Amino acid sequence: MKSLLQISNDQKFNAPLLFFVVVTSQIAVGIQGFQRLIVKDATHDAWISILLSFLFSHFIVYVMFKTLEIYSTNDLFGIQLDLFGKYLGHLINFSYVIYVSFAFFVVLKNYTEIITTWVFPNLSQVFISGTLLILVIYSFTGGLRVIIGVCFISVVSTIWMLLLLLFPLEYAHYNHLLPVLSNDLVSILKGAYSMTFTIVGFEVVNILYPFVKDKNKAQKYVHFGLFFTCFVYVFVMIVTIVYFSNEQLEKTIWALLTLFSIIKLPFIERIEIIVICFWLIIILPNLCLFSWSAYRGIVRIKNIKGTTFIWIFTILIFFVSLPVQSRHDINRINNIFSKIAFYVVFIYPLFLYIMASTKKILKKWVKSS
Amino acid sequence: MFGMKKIRKINKSNDSSAKTEAKHIKIPSSKVEFIEKLKEITHSPADLMIKEISDTITIIYVDFLIDVNTLNEQILPTLEKTDCATPRIIKESLLVAEVDLGSELNKCVLEMLIGAVLIHVEGNSELVIAKISAYQTRSLTTPENESQVIGSQIGFNESLATNISLIRRYITNPNLSNEKYVIGKETNTSLSVLYIKGIASEEYVNTVRQRIIDLDVSDILDSAILTELIDDNSLTIFPQMLLTERPDRFCDGLLSGKVGIVVNGSSMAILCPYTFFEFFQSREDQNLRWPIATFLRLLRFSAILISIFFTPIYVATLTFHYEVIPQPLLVPLSESRAIVPFPPIIEALFLELIIELLREAGARLPTKVGQTIGIVGGIVLGTAAVQAGITSNILIIIIALCALSAFTTPNYVMGNVIRILRFPIIFLAGFWGFYGIMFAFCLLIIHLLRQSSLGAPYLQPFYPPRWKDMADSVIRLPLPFINRQPILTSRKVNDKASNNNSSNEEKMKQS
Repeated sequence: MKSLLQISNDQKFNAPLLFFVVVTSQIAVGIQGFQRLIVKDATHDAWISILLSFLFSHFIVYVMFKTLEIYSTNDLFGIQLDLFGKYLGHLINFSYVIYVSFAFFVVLKNYTEIITTWVFPNLSQVFISGTLLILVIYSFTGGLRVIIGVCFISVVSTIWMLLLLLFPLEYAHYNHLLPVLSNDLVSILKGAYSMTFTIVGFEVVNILYPFVKDKNKAQKYVHFGLFFTCFVYVFVMIVTIVYFSNEQLEKTIWALLTLFSIIKLPFIERIEIIVICFWLIIILPNLCLFSWSAYRGIVRIKNIKGTTFIWIFTILIFFVSLPVQSRHDINRINNIFSKIAFYVVFIYPLFLYIMASTKKILKKWVKSS
Repeated sequence: MFGMKKIRKINKSNDSSAKTEAKHIKIPSSKVEFIEKLKEITHSPADLMIKEISDTITIIYVDFLIDVNTLNEQILPTLEKTDCATPRIIKESLLVAEVDLGSELNKCVLEMLIGAVLIHVEGNSELVIAKISAYQTRSLTTPENESQVIGSQIGFNESLATNISLIRRYITNPNLSNEKYVIGKETNTSLSVLYIKGIASEEYVNTVRQRIIDLDVSDILDSAILTELIDDNSLTIFPQMLLTERPDRFCDGLLSGKVGIVVNGSSMAILCPYTFFEFFQSREDQNLRWPIATFLRLLRFSAILISIFFTPIYVATLTFHYEVIPQPLLVPLSESRAIVPFPPIIEALFLELIIELLREAGARLPTKVGQTIGIVGGIVLGTAAVQAGITSNILIIIIALCALSAFTTPNYVMGNVIRILRFPIIFLAGFWGFYGIMFAFCLLIIHLLRQSSLGAPYLQPFYPPRWKDMADSVIRLPLPFINRQPILTSRKVNDKASNNNSSNEEKMKQS
């Protein structure tokens, strides 16, 4: 296979770090406002929708790894080149790069919007995206080791935020959760479908896979990561449901931030302002991972240096982000993104697996006959 | 620093050509010619002693560099007895430990400048070199900058020989390797690379060796300069190698697999590779009971955060985020700030500057005057500034807390870094509030992630996570739980780390 990757041991990282990669890549801007979208369909059974969506994610990860194992040391881009040939393969690779860049853009835009709505109404969005892109450039040029490091530190340094959610429980009405399963399956599934925007991100494993040191352990840690984010999402959802009434929730765009804003400590109030600024370190690894995935795809098409790539990439993103300013635009972009993401993350891997395994069987058959 | 480096390089190119010419000077066999030649090379300094013992034998040495007792009691009587002998016979009959024969004038002169007596015999083109150097050294005292309550109270001094003997007293082990190098074209400074074979990773030893050999400098006056020259990244603000004046800390490093460098004329020894977290450990932590040591370490780490982020948080809160402060706290805050005419950022920078000035003045002044600084700074400036309405009371408390926290860092170099880091963050906080602080925080983390020490990740064992080494990093667990050989230093090129580890441990047990 021509598309094989040569990766030195220095560039590789240990499998347990995949746990942190998956957790950070899933938790980004979606978690701040996903409650409203899901509750709209599934009402107080929204947590079941989340469980279902994660169940499906586990299955997708399983399929993803089956596909990757057929090619042992290759990433998604290499597999696509092998399956679809040179021209179609490059075309699909490029469209995947576009998808990843779109994800990058969505995260960037949503975060700048939150900052301008909650913390600095007058701060220019250009400035915020500029500073974010500087951070991305700085960590990207450090190499994959640094990017994974940012993921790791991001999880470790933000885990305390979960404890903050215990405060709203003081005002909880647990009967909001009852009766369990009062909605029909369709509306619950609809809720699960709405989770797409929040749950995607773990597809970077497709591209990171060749860089994992002990590959047979990799899948285990990805599943662990999914379990952890599942716990986080279900926990957040339950707190939201018991705290808000349905009508309130419909009017709350960022339910999580509203939950934070009622916390009062003897020395701090309005914790959500600190939390939003702290959120920078939660979205940073996402931006790094997405830009890095885009780079891996571009390198297959044209061999350019990482530094050149990241400058071109960030400058492009910067200019594209200029015209998108209002809540309305961003909402529309989010909707488009989640529609695309659903097919890319949840449907496409199945198709790819069928293609790859048929090819494998065909090869065997050709050889034997 | 950059200027200095440039000058050094220019110097080097000038004298290198001169040196290659003068490299192979044969020693003249006639006495008169020899003395003339020697005077020409050394430019006949006032302390060059030339003594003619007999018609044939002449001895030459530099005054004050040699041990006069040995010269009088051992060398002179022997030379008087052995008249008209060859250098070879003299060498054998001399009762001095280090005697050599030299046939190259330049090398002999170098030996003489280190502290040797040159013996010339008429008609021979070889010199006897009797090394009986004796220099004046400071006696061993307690380490002033790294003091500790429990533990040995001895520090390095400026003599390479004394320092190595100190280290050998701690580690009696034939595996303790000592490699000698001479660097610096002008100063010919000797330095020793020390490590324990079997414990230190060959990879690191090779890196250090290579970096020292590759050095092209005119002078090394202190080990601190050497650390900057052989660092992984000399542009960063963070130190990547430890400078210590404590032999016990140095030996502790060697035993855990680090490579040490001792430079002649410097009372600070270098240890590498060194990670970020190790800079905040004190040798004393090992000597205290583990819960206390753990408490102190956690205290120090929270002190870093306080010292870097407390003033910026104050500035950010009072400039942009009033709503974060609860009402009961807001009242005294605004009361104390009500008469202050400046925005918080100016106020904070002003006070931080005063603290820095006080510290710098305290460090430069003679110790006797130093106490006045405390009074002037603490009482006069502090109280007066508040009464004059230039700053608020609460800010003074915060600034003092930050300064105090910065001083808990056990390592002076790292302490400086922690103090200085605050300034750019204050600016960011003053302009963009919490967002600016967070931006700085992320930048700092990425920067730390990018650093390495001798190629080893700088944030180990935190990232990449090494759970076993956590036992002695941010916390300290009881000694049986601590792996004396962290993965950091026992890492081998190939993936046989576990194998090597066990064999190393066996070696340790044997020795």
